[in-house]
Amino acid sequence: MSAASCYLFRNLPDEKMGALHAVSHLQTIPKEQWLFHKGERAEYIYLVEEGAIELVMPVEPDIEIPVALIRPGNGCVGVGALLEPYTYSLSARCKEDTRLTVIARADIYALFESDPEFGSTVMTNLAQRLLERLRETREEVKIHFMNLIQSATFS
Amino acid sequence: MAMQQHTNEIHLEAQGAVTILDIRGDITAFSESALGDAYRKASEQGAGKLLLKIEKEAYINSGGIAVLIQILAQTRRKDQRVAITGISEHFKKIFNMVGITKFADVFESTELAVQALT
Repeated sequence: MSAASCYLFRNLPDEKMGALHAVSHLQTIPKEQWLFHKGERAEYIYLVEEGAIELVMPVEPDIEIPVALIRPGNGCVGVGALLEPYTYSLSARCKEDTRLTVIARADIYALFESDPEFGSTVMTNLAQRLLERLRETREEVKIHFMNLIQSATFS
Repeated sequence: MAMQQHTNEIHLEAQGAVTILDIRGDITAFSESALGDAYRKASEQGAGKLLLKIEKEAYINSGGIAVLIQILAQTRRKDQRVAITGISEHFKKIFNMVGITKFADVFESTELAVQALT
């Protein structure tokens, strides 16, 4: 299972990884199939074992903003399942035939309750990643803003 | 994850009158510094024709698109010609949609792009 290489489960000892492994299962999704859509209730977290998942922000029926491509070992999708209001904030589509490790929110929360240290480590890892995403978003806003200024100045 | 902060590896290479920016890695908002530095270096060396060679497996998110638009705006002001290669059909559609292809033609291969620019 790729959980050991996923940022969410960084710094977890082997026995806690074992507990996580016990509540997870594998699922294969064909290329181009949607895993979930923005706004849907988030019941599962997915780790990419093989293949790739693209995260997009739908804007209009034919327009979507590319956000990230999640490959094996570089993350997970569906972390909306860990935080209220438990909805997916982006849509996820398989770019290739994709094999996933699936962990249900109910199962991971049961682990948090039985082992608060486990929960604390996972949520700290999540907070660090969300901060990283916030930094990237601020960088992006800065670039868009500068592009607007440049286009206003030189048009 | 593509969103994790990273730096791109960018090599400059001259093929005749064309300067190739060989860009490795996903292109995101965090690519601004590396891509901007490489572009400045190429311009300082007098590059009038540029090819942005994007790694085939690379992902370009909305922040990366903004960075590319930023570079293309500079090339337009300096009257530099630009071509792009290495992107998938998916990104060709996106580049069309956001107007990148008005400022840079997209080619299937480095050879075709260099030929068209020369």
